[in-house]
Amino acid sequence: MSLQRHLNKLRWGILTIVFSMLVLLPFIYVYQTFLESHSYDLLADSEKQLYDVMETLTQPFVGSDPENELDAIKGTTWSGNFFGYMISDPLAGLAQFSAGFYFHKPLLLAILIPLVLSLILGRFYCGWICPATFLYELNTNIRLLLIRMGLKVASQRISYNLKYYVLALGILFSAFFGTVFFASIYPPAIIGRELFYAIALGGFGSGMVFFVITLMFDLLVARRGFCRYVCPGGALYSLLGRYRLLRIQRIVGECNDCAKCNAVCEFGLDPLNDNFGQECNNCTACIAICPTDALSFKIQIRDSSPQGPGHLGKKYLHNSTEIALGEGALSNET
Amino acid sequence: MTSRRVLLELKKSDRRDFLKALTASAVALAAGPVLAAQSQPSIRFLRPPGSLAEEDFSSRCIHCGQCSEVCPNRCIRYFGLENGLASMDTPYIIPREKACILCMKCGDVCPSGAIQPIERALEPITSKVRMGKAVVDRQLCLSWQGKTCGVCYRACPLADVAIRVGMLEQPHVLDKCVGCGLCERSCIQLPQAIRIIPDYG
Repeated sequence: MSLQRHLNKLRWGILTIVFSMLVLLPFIYVYQTFLESHSYDLLADSEKQLYDVMETLTQPFVGSDPENELDAIKGTTWSGNFFGYMISDPLAGLAQFSAGFYFHKPLLLAILIPLVLSLILGRFYCGWICPATFLYELNTNIRLLLIRMGLKVASQRISYNLKYYVLALGILFSAFFGTVFFASIYPPAIIGRELFYAIALGGFGSGMVFFVITLMFDLLVARRGFCRYVCPGGALYSLLGRYRLLRIQRIVGECNDCAKCNAVCEFGLDPLNDNFGQECNNCTACIAICPTDALSFKIQIRDSSPQGPGHLGKKYLHNSTEIALGEGALSNET
Repeated sequence: MTSRRVLLELKKSDRRDFLKALTASAVALAAGPVLAAQSQPSIRFLRPPGSLAEEDFSSRCIHCGQCSEVCPNRCIRYFGLENGLASMDTPYIIPREKACILCMKCGDVCPSGAIQPIERALEPITSKVRMGKAVVDRQLCLSWQGKTCGVCYRACPLADVAIRVGMLEQPHVLDKCVGCGLCERSCIQLPQAIRIIPDYG
């Protein structure tokens, strides 16, 4: 058993940490405002409880000046502040440039790290960090539950190229209206904002409606459909990761053509036929489910050419309906 | 043979997607004038201190929400759809509800340059911050009606620089007023006798 099998658990750990930080940070912010107003006695009972809980939670990490020290981590995965370093989504930089035809240098610096990492690791943001992925993958499990309960849900397949049109249209839109349009249709940006609105400002904003619609789309129309076919950020990361260094590849001698990898792949890719392409987000779900350890990370710039059937020689037919059936037959291990 | 069929089908679906995208773009272009008509602000709001003029602001702001996340006074809020699509999720301040205390943290944290970083000192603030300007309605103002009040003067963080009081504490707004809104917040008259007229640039 190779160590790479456990990467999927690590990925879920990271996704959970990112999401719970997004929930925690607004509470920390509210706690900071309580601290800054120096008025514990004037708080309502529920606010006092929140104050006490946050005080015990943050005590180990702060010194004498918690008001300002808690500013160390702020923001969301769309754009955040980590110990003085700003990190932003490359899509934010692209959108700002298309809206105003102007590069803001700090923002360029902020998108540099994710940009370089995406060039090396491909679409890893989509699988490993994105807070929307956390909810979308749970949503996929609900979808599998529905299928197992016997409900009919559609498994619509649309062209993967649709999201590149969305990206191009979004850029046109931004330029036309002079506003960063992507922030309203990009789930990780919406999630971060809306969690903050809900916890600190007292109510979800209008972006939540859009997000719930995408959840329903994923649940009833196409598995992980928004990420696969519509997400403009996914399109940008796919383009950046086209010539990524780190790829999941199949060792044909180990493969027994069981096609579990095809069924488990959230993005509907075809690892069995060595067909990963730029859409693969290196999420390692296929590595985790492979019973013979035939899938592993390799460092190469292009996918291997199709290697044919595995050592048992029973070639799994490339047929989309069968893959859709397989989706129901297999459990998606988390 | 199978692969050829798949390829043909792919091409067909590609074409369909392209047509879909084309229709969507046509709809988007038609929606342009409709949305542009809504660009007039529907409520009187202020942008956070150090914000650029309105047009530059909406093209730079990436809607990340960090300005509110550092605001110690919880005065920065976000638009929904009520002020048009272009200003959705952009920060605003309603001074009557909660006014800016000019802590200048939002400019430091803004990654997009929509809110410029400004040092928290008298000279940079009075020369660079342009949120709006206070205007006194002498018909409503208690001091101007002969009942000594002077609350706006005492609330002003830049007292004697931005606002001065004369006889009976009658307020006079000076040129250096930056429009933080603390006077409007604290005015005891309802409707307020002193209000910030925003400077959208």
